[in-house]
Amino acid sequence: MLVGGLLILVAGLMAFFPSMNSSGETDWISIPLVGFPIVVSCILLAFASQEKRSRKEIIASPIRLFTLCASLIPLAISTALFFDWLILVDWDLMYNEYALEEEYLWIESIGASWHVGMDGLSFPMVWLTTFLVPVTIVMTWNEKHGATYFPLLLMMGGALIGVFVALDLFLFYVFWELTLIPMFFLILKWGGKDRRYAAQKFFIYTFCASVIMLLGLITLYFLQPESSGSGYGTVTGRTFDMTALFTNARSKNAGDSVFLGKDMQNILFAMLMLGFLVKLPAVPFHTWLPDAHVQAPTGGSMLLAGVMLKMGAYGMLRIPIAIFPDALVFYQDIIMAIGLISLVWGAVVCLGQTNLKRMVAYSSVSHMGVILLGIASMQPIGYAAALFMMFAHGIISPMLFAVCGAFKHHYHSMEIGDMRGMARWSPFLAVYMMFAWMASLGLPLLAGFVAELMVLLAYWPAYGWWILLPGFVLAITAAYYLWSMQRTIFEGGDEGQPPESLKGETPPDITLPENIGMIILAVFTVIFGIFPFIALGMMDQWAVALFEGVFITGGI
Amino acid sequence: MGTEVFSTEFWKAVAPEAILVIGLVLIFVVPNLGNSKFRIPLTKVQIPWFLGGRRFKFTGSPAIPGMLAAATLFTALGMMVIETIDGKMDTTTVTSGETVLLQIDAFSRFFEIIFLAAILLAVMASLDRIPANTFEGKKTLDELYDNRRQADLYILMLTTAVGMCMVALAQDLFVLFVGLELASLATYVLVAFHKESKAGAEAGVKYFIVGSVASGIGLYGLSLLYLEYGSLQLDVLASDWDGSILATIGLGLVLVGFGFKVSAAPFHFAAPDAYAGANSPVAGILATASKAMGMIGLVRVLLVVALPDVDSDGSAIWLYTLATLSVVTMTWGNLAALGSTNPKRMLAYSSVAHAGYMMAALTAVGAWKWGEIEAPVEYAHAIVAAVLFHLFVLVAFKLGAFLVLGLLEMEGGASRLSALSGLARRDPLIGTAMFVFMLSLAGVPPLAGFMSKFLVVSGIVSASIGDLSGSVSFSDLHWIWWLALAMFINSAISVFYYLRIGVVMFLDVPEEGRRKPLPYGASIRMAIWICLVATIIIGLSGDTLIDMCYRAAESLNLG
Repeated sequence: MLVGGLLILVAGLMAFFPSMNSSGETDWISIPLVGFPIVVSCILLAFASQEKRSRKEIIASPIRLFTLCASLIPLAISTALFFDWLILVDWDLMYNEYALEEEYLWIESIGASWHVGMDGLSFPMVWLTTFLVPVTIVMTWNEKHGATYFPLLLMMGGALIGVFVALDLFLFYVFWELTLIPMFFLILKWGGKDRRYAAQKFFIYTFCASVIMLLGLITLYFLQPESSGSGYGTVTGRTFDMTALFTNARSKNAGDSVFLGKDMQNILFAMLMLGFLVKLPAVPFHTWLPDAHVQAPTGGSMLLAGVMLKMGAYGMLRIPIAIFPDALVFYQDIIMAIGLISLVWGAVVCLGQTNLKRMVAYSSVSHMGVILLGIASMQPIGYAAALFMMFAHGIISPMLFAVCGAFKHHYHSMEIGDMRGMARWSPFLAVYMMFAWMASLGLPLLAGFVAELMVLLAYWPAYGWWILLPGFVLAITAAYYLWSMQRTIFEGGDEGQPPESLKGETPPDITLPENIGMIILAVFTVIFGIFPFIALGMMDQWAVALFEGVFITGGI
Repeated sequence: MGTEVFSTEFWKAVAPEAILVIGLVLIFVVPNLGNSKFRIPLTKVQIPWFLGGRRFKFTGSPAIPGMLAAATLFTALGMMVIETIDGKMDTTTVTSGETVLLQIDAFSRFFEIIFLAAILLAVMASLDRIPANTFEGKKTLDELYDNRRQADLYILMLTTAVGMCMVALAQDLFVLFVGLELASLATYVLVAFHKESKAGAEAGVKYFIVGSVASGIGLYGLSLLYLEYGSLQLDVLASDWDGSILATIGLGLVLVGFGFKVSAAPFHFAAPDAYAGANSPVAGILATASKAMGMIGLVRVLLVVALPDVDSDGSAIWLYTLATLSVVTMTWGNLAALGSTNPKRMLAYSSVAHAGYMMAALTAVGAWKWGEIEAPVEYAHAIVAAVLFHLFVLVAFKLGAFLVLGLLEMEGGASRLSALSGLARRDPLIGTAMFVFMLSLAGVPPLAGFMSKFLVVSGIVSASIGDLSGSVSFSDLHWIWWLALAMFINSAISVFYYLRIGVVMFLDVPEEGRRKPLPYGASIRMAIWICLVATIIIGLSGDTLIDMCYRAAESLNLG
């Protein structure tokens, strides 16, 4: 215990003393946001794995408390970054400019470097991750085997932030795959009955897609003109640095010479998009998602839906669109079609679900379709909308899954048919459920509404009367949400029959930690619904910069 | 620098190998030292003779051969690493008259490091796997058996090492073949070493029969080459190579011999049986060092000898042959591994798949050289360096996986998947190590296996692109780009069976009779730790190793 405490102390100190880089500026990303959570969680896991089983239950409580404190450090830093508290950040960025850039040499022979930075695209996602990890820890306060569960959540957070801040393709891919491992274990160790199947399916699906993406990245890498200098590989003569790649692609696209042949661009764009579409997930690559969600523990589902799905959308916005704008034009209709199909398919399938969590999972598929519509619109407002949708869905969907988790916890069932008259038994849970469902179906003054409205605004100039289709689907969304509420909250309440799955016990209401977590999520849903400009300003600026930097400069 | 055989410079240059031979002789001699005396006939004068009689207490210990072998390998390995690590490695050729026999350069030293590292780790594991029971008192029959065969085991291990080093140094195909046979014969016996189990003996016989047939075919191919060119010197063959029909047939037959060693389809059939029947450390040697030995043969024959001039297009045959073989090998290996429930068979098939990946890389060099791709020689060096990197890191994680199985064998068998069940609960660190090895084999970053796959695919893609730039269209790429795609699809397939082991270890309940903690085994655990640390460190920062591989590839003189 003493040794463990010392290690924890050292790790804690590490976070509070950000290292200085060569130019004398303080590093706010590498160590406090990425390195600290991963290293601390590895230490905790190694420490916990050496304990006897009986001791593990004893040390679970201090570890839980410690992980909560450790996860608050990145949250404090990212919040301070946003409000310019203590740390001065210039968020007024042009296209391909990044705040807080940090670059260290890593694998020089292939030109991979530890290059991180943030802009209007990545910062909202980083903040969302730092925000969700402590909320998830609070929400699943009583999860079993806490000594290993909470460190895994922390590690997940660190890896996810790594994906969002990476400005080097190699680093990006490393973190992209690293996120699979904690999630794999979360599903495998804490999952439901079919967790073996779900965990493997989740891992294999996303891994298969990302190796295709990696082949696309490698091909792109070798298609760069050979060069030498800092950041360029000593053996290969190319670089993985995204900023260099973007500059290169933009200047080539803007000038007379074309960056790559048209068909080459299209093929590479498709290869990269495949990896991102599976992660998103879009129909027809979505089948891993319902299985993973239904089997995953509540905390895993919250992070999976809240941030991990956004990795796909983030990747699309970050890499292929910026490098291959011509290919985006080529694929515009196809992406729009995939987005519409995801939207419609997800919503229609929701209507037929009897499992509450499965229904919520399919509603995620539907919402991710909205993001694709925003991307396909090729309007600045569409990109801002896609980004805001990612952000809003990142706050709302964890709440949906938290409600599902509370159901599972207190009613021992996930079947909609088993729950009757919840308003009578668990009034708090009923209120939160109603709130979350309303937020997800796009009630005005809640965050989801802003995003959907903006997507429709971008959709009109791009596709005209096709706008009726997504509008209609939003009505279906309202239908399945309202119908499920009607069946679970109100129906049968007066007869006073508790659900059968409880075997005669009186159903309890939710616990205090769950209450706290849900209130936090609900408050932020309202805040970003009423004052969307808090987050939207930065997103808008980024979208306009991307539009000017890529599409207008590229002559599209 | 050239030296004559048995000159002073010669001994300086081959000092590590000489140490191996000395160690080998010591293992023969030391356990036999005793107080015997030789009486001169018809007199009463007795001269101390030391060989035989009552053993001295020190030399009579059954632990001596293992210690000697480990010390010998460690010394030789250390000398080689010190020699190569700074990058200023001189090239020394050993000649006998006009004939160049051996060449000591960065390339051969690199391979020797692979061989010795793998065999050293296997020896460390064997110290616990087949333990010498030095304690006093009554011993069981098994313990007596184990004590009796200590010397045999380590003699065979060191013979394998000497043979493999000879293959790495050889500049003459005949010398190469002699070394190959020396190593092969030793490994045949090692496979059959566990003669209490029927599977071991059967595996040994199978491996021996198939292996000797493959060697025989290879030897016939060599004789055809000799018939055509009148020499088996690598440089003579390389300069005279014209791709005539007789030579091409000879080349094909030689490929069969080496193909068996790297366990390339369709010559891989003995491999799963051999791996499954052998002790896990021995199986680990087969999967890493023995494969690297075969790969030397392929590199020497395909890239040094049979790289034709650009304008002789008639002999482009092996490009297509090797491309087909590589795709067949990787796909066959992965599909067969999907269906095997014996972890050792599964690792054997995965080793077949890895052979396919490396052959795909060699194909890319072939494509470069044929003039279909315009690119500087650095590309070829980078591809060969990727193959070397892959062979090196295989020692870390593939051998590591076999050693974990070896640890399980110490408590009775690791031939069923259920033997692994609950391993992570019984021993979290060993379970985690095994999971890391599996992820590394599957190619998950940031582990060494990812780096190696990444480098191999990069090599293939770079060769398919060449120095094209500007407005490149997809049809401008060379068709070997599809090999990279095949490789990645295959590595996606392979995730299935690697992940299955992880799931079994972390989710399932330990089977009956395996509820107790794992056997201890200090040195096998140390070997596993070395493998684990190497897997992670090389994955996180492989720069030193990449440079080393690149220098080794450069000394091959492909240009």
